[in-house]
Amino acid sequence: MAFATGYIMLLRKRGAVSSIIAIALLVAIIASTNAIVNYLNLQSETLAGLVNPRGTYLILSSNFTAITDSRLPADLTAKLSNLGYVKNVLPQKVLTANLTTNYGSRTVQIIGIEDVGFFLKTKGAYINGTTAKNWTEANAGEILARALSISPGDDITLTVDGTHVKVRVVGVFRSQTQSDAKLLVPMEIADKLAGNNATVSIIEFYLKEGVDSRDALDKIMQRLPENVRLVQTQQLREFARQMNAQTLAFLNVWSVAVYAVVAAASYVIATRLVTESRYELAMLKALGAKKRLTFTLILAYAITIALLASILGIALGTAGTQTASTLLRWVLPSVDVTPFLEAYQALQIFLLTLTSSIIGCIYPALKSAPIRYVEQPL
Amino acid sequence: MRFLGFRYLRRQHILTLIIVITLSSMLFSVTALSLLGFYRGFTTYLGEGEDIVAVYDRKSRTPFTGLVPSYLAEKISALNGVLASSPEAIAPSIVKGESTFLRGIIPEEFAKLNQVTMVEGDLLELDDLNSAIVGRNIAERLRINLNDKLLVLGILTDRYLELEVKGIFVSHSPMDDEILAPLYVGQWLRGADYGHVTLIRSKIDRDTITPSRIFEEIVKEASEQSPSLGSTPSQEPQPPSITPRIVIRFRAENIGVEEAYNFMKNYVDRYGLTRESLLILSAMVFLFSGTSIATALKTLMVQHKGEISVLRAIGASKRLLKKDILAKLMPWSIVAASIGFTLALAILTVIQGGGYMQVLSHTVPLLIGPFVIAINFAIVSLIVSAVILRSDLE
Repeated sequence: MAFATGYIMLLRKRGAVSSIIAIALLVAIIASTNAIVNYLNLQSETLAGLVNPRGTYLILSSNFTAITDSRLPADLTAKLSNLGYVKNVLPQKVLTANLTTNYGSRTVQIIGIEDVGFFLKTKGAYINGTTAKNWTEANAGEILARALSISPGDDITLTVDGTHVKVRVVGVFRSQTQSDAKLLVPMEIADKLAGNNATVSIIEFYLKEGVDSRDALDKIMQRLPENVRLVQTQQLREFARQMNAQTLAFLNVWSVAVYAVVAAASYVIATRLVTESRYELAMLKALGAKKRLTFTLILAYAITIALLASILGIALGTAGTQTASTLLRWVLPSVDVTPFLEAYQALQIFLLTLTSSIIGCIYPALKSAPIRYVEQPL
Repeated sequence: MRFLGFRYLRRQHILTLIIVITLSSMLFSVTALSLLGFYRGFTTYLGEGEDIVAVYDRKSRTPFTGLVPSYLAEKISALNGVLASSPEAIAPSIVKGESTFLRGIIPEEFAKLNQVTMVEGDLLELDDLNSAIVGRNIAERLRINLNDKLLVLGILTDRYLELEVKGIFVSHSPMDDEILAPLYVGQWLRGADYGHVTLIRSKIDRDTITPSRIFEEIVKEASEQSPSLGSTPSQEPQPPSITPRIVIRFRAENIGVEEAYNFMKNYVDRYGLTRESLLILSAMVFLFSGTSIATALKTLMVQHKGEISVLRAIGASKRLLKKDILAKLMPWSIVAASIGFTLALAILTVIQGGGYMQVLSHTVPLLIGPFVIAINFAIVSLIVSAVILRSDLE
């Protein structure tokens, strides 16, 4: 009874409305910012979703970060090729070799491929000359050929750890990929240079169209040994997600500053309430109210103010940004911004406002507890 | 009657006001500094001097996704008054699981526009096959060391490649958050052929040539092309180059030439984001939080009701009291606003250092402009004056 009387008495004080507005405006800042950021993030995610990645995947050794250091069992290729949802399995042996031409020598990367012609076809490459078909032939990428002045028909020597192989460049290709800076050789040459035929560096494969990629990748992962990792090449959604995460990370830090002001505002509101209600609080004490009641009353008042302010602030922030964006659309028709607030964000703002308000009001509420009627100018 | 000698405002209560003003001011400063920093970082992304000109794709909706014929760089560099012409292929990509931007460049031309100082390793050269240099910021963020091998995954195209870190550089520009590689590497990752780049940046002598003059040359070049010309290797004798020279047929109306700053500014302006609008937005945040300052001031008045009544009883007019309170509180308010601004700077510096202040994987620079400081003090003074002078002191 005493609580209800005291609570209604405090709420009827004239500062209640201005207190609600003070906190509501702060909440509106957070709500409107979140609404705009949500729209921007949705836009980037939608844009990312418009592009359908071709679905190239790489299998690498998880023990090494570099492709040239990666070692995978060569029999993995057969395991993948047998799967119905996988197409174009391309095992590659990547080596760093010393390439010697008539004009000099240079360290380059060479790629050993089972079928050089098929590899170039999958890359959509153009070739000047023919594709390498046996252990005496090689194809040079256009950039590499230009850098080392290699032409079709040139003889070159490849050296890896003292092992030499002499090959003829039978064609120069352009694939618009990193292969253009490399030398492609049949796998037997790479095996000879590496001194083994049991491993490859990397396996590149594609999923067939219409296949559920998540399901297919799960099944592939189950068949792979533990020390390998699977990498998707075109991670557009992940890129968009990280771009959004960067904005959200800053927004979260910025929100801390707003909630700090909410806590300070709540402190001021509670202090003012205690100062203006000294008479009423002292009267309640005189009528037998305990210290705890005063504390509870101030806390209940602050919670009520925060509750009403957060509802008003969320509504004001969301509606405000939507109105502003509509006005902006009239002025600048090219700007089409539709801010929105997710339900969980509204709840988050609501709870954080409530928490900040409680933190802010605790000290004045505790200070109000010892007020005694004898000390008051009754 | 002068009351300046009386200390009737209690320090403890003034402290509350100072804290509220400090926090509100900090909130404004954090908002304004970060928004203006973003604006500044974005608009100066390609260079801020009037002598840096960008040749870009008018149809592109972002500065990173356009395509222009790369051979135009040679044509532009041959013009009198053009000091350097740098074709660049910008490719969003993922490195070590993190989003980043790789820029394909011709190192010799790029160096004429951006001063790059190597912190570790060596400068990049165009024939550095499979190599790259990385900016100091991204090297720290992704823990990249010299001679590391990076698996770079393309975003705009289904391509991947491995690059060895040849060096780590610092340029005191947005490039410090990027990976620089030879032009053809950028073209691979961008999904462009050797005849296209994202944009061409040129350094010009403003007394000799203007952006509109460069555009005239581009229009002339477009009109001189044979209608049957599609994408063909150049028949003109050229010095030996590692990258193929391809002459592309293009429409002059699809190409834009502008100062780099204006080029970037136009992108944000399309969304109504100007420096002024961002300042107004920040000021709105301050005014919204200003209600808390008003509440704190009213509370201070209530807390000193007794003292004010005594002064009124001994003959002080309301006007004199208001002036006196204002004179006593204004210095504290200014001090609080200064502390708020300083706190904001410190917080943003820490956030920036921690890598939390990034937009599009580029660190947002801190821009301490006089406008922000002036608006900060102006709004605080305005709120404090308005609340005190409008109070009834009863």
